Amino acid sequence: MKNNKFTHSLLEPIVNRTVTFLQEDMIIDVLNKTVDIDEVNDAILKDNTVMIGTGGDIQVILTFGYDQRLIEKLVYVFMDGEIVDEDEKEEIEQSVCCEIANTIIGNSIKNPMGESLISITPPILIKAAKSFTKYKNSTILVSVIKTNFGDLHLSAVGPKELFVDKLDFKEL
Amino acid sequence: MLKVMVVDDALVIRKNLTRFFTSLGHEVVAEAGTGVEAISKIQEIKDIDLITMDVTMPEMDGIEATKQICELNKDVKIVMITSHGQEELVSKALKAGAKNFVLKPITQEKVEQTIGVLFPEFASKEDEDTL
Repeated sequence: MKNNKFTHSLLEPIVNRTVTFLQEDMIIDVLNKTVDIDEVNDAILKDNTVMIGTGGDIQVILTFGYDQRLIEKLVYVFMDGEIVDEDEKEEIEQSVCCEIANTIIGNSIKNPMGESLISITPPILIKAAKSFTKYKNSTILVSVIKTNFGDLHLSAVGPKELFVDKLDFKEL
Repeated sequence: MLKVMVVDDALVIRKNLTRFFTSLGHEVVAEAGTGVEAISKIQEIKDIDLITMDVTMPEMDGIEATKQICELNKDVKIVMITSHGQEELVSKALKAGAKNFVLKPITQEKVEQTIGVLFPEFASKEDEDTL
């Protein structure tokens, strides 16, 4: 695991909040005893992936990739067991994926650079994308949360400098 | 019983809020997926006590919709539905006339507490004890 304090500051709270959200709000067991955050060169995207950007002091792209079975379980819990009409199924599934990503990021994001705000963009769904690859000074961090209903992949893509330990952000 | 309009572009949020309000004994008289649709509905249905308003929506966001609705109907109370990371937008919405905001994830308890703050006559016994 290649982490430093800024990596942790940005992604670790999101991973932790995802775990507590799944366990406490959705009543879904998380199977990993510990959830690692790894730096990679390429990240494979799931068919159902939501992307949210952050703005302000820190500008990164965050993605949430869901297995289909997990989405179905999340929809069931979100809707309190209410049967979803077939003609609304896709829209409900998409809005649940987006709302969960939006809520978790909103709940957990902290600004490692101080008290100033980090804004987040509205969530968007990525369709038919397969992967993204590190280029030049970018950094890709990934984390996989395993459940009985499939996996939830989290990733953060940003400039490498963001993750440099000794960068003096105050001079920016 | 309060008459409520739920404004959110996410269908699942509209459905959840409708379920929460209904189970608390209130009536959702209208739903809207955009700010434009919300303004159209407030002109059709005058008798609305409370609106829950998403901040970011297509066509017209929740801030502009709040501003226009407050000009059309000075009695209606608007509550923003938001998440952290949108504090600046919420601040603008409050200046535009919104009365309160609820942070996601939305639960029935949060909805009930907010109703209790804005409409003390509908506060639950537990909320009354804490007010």
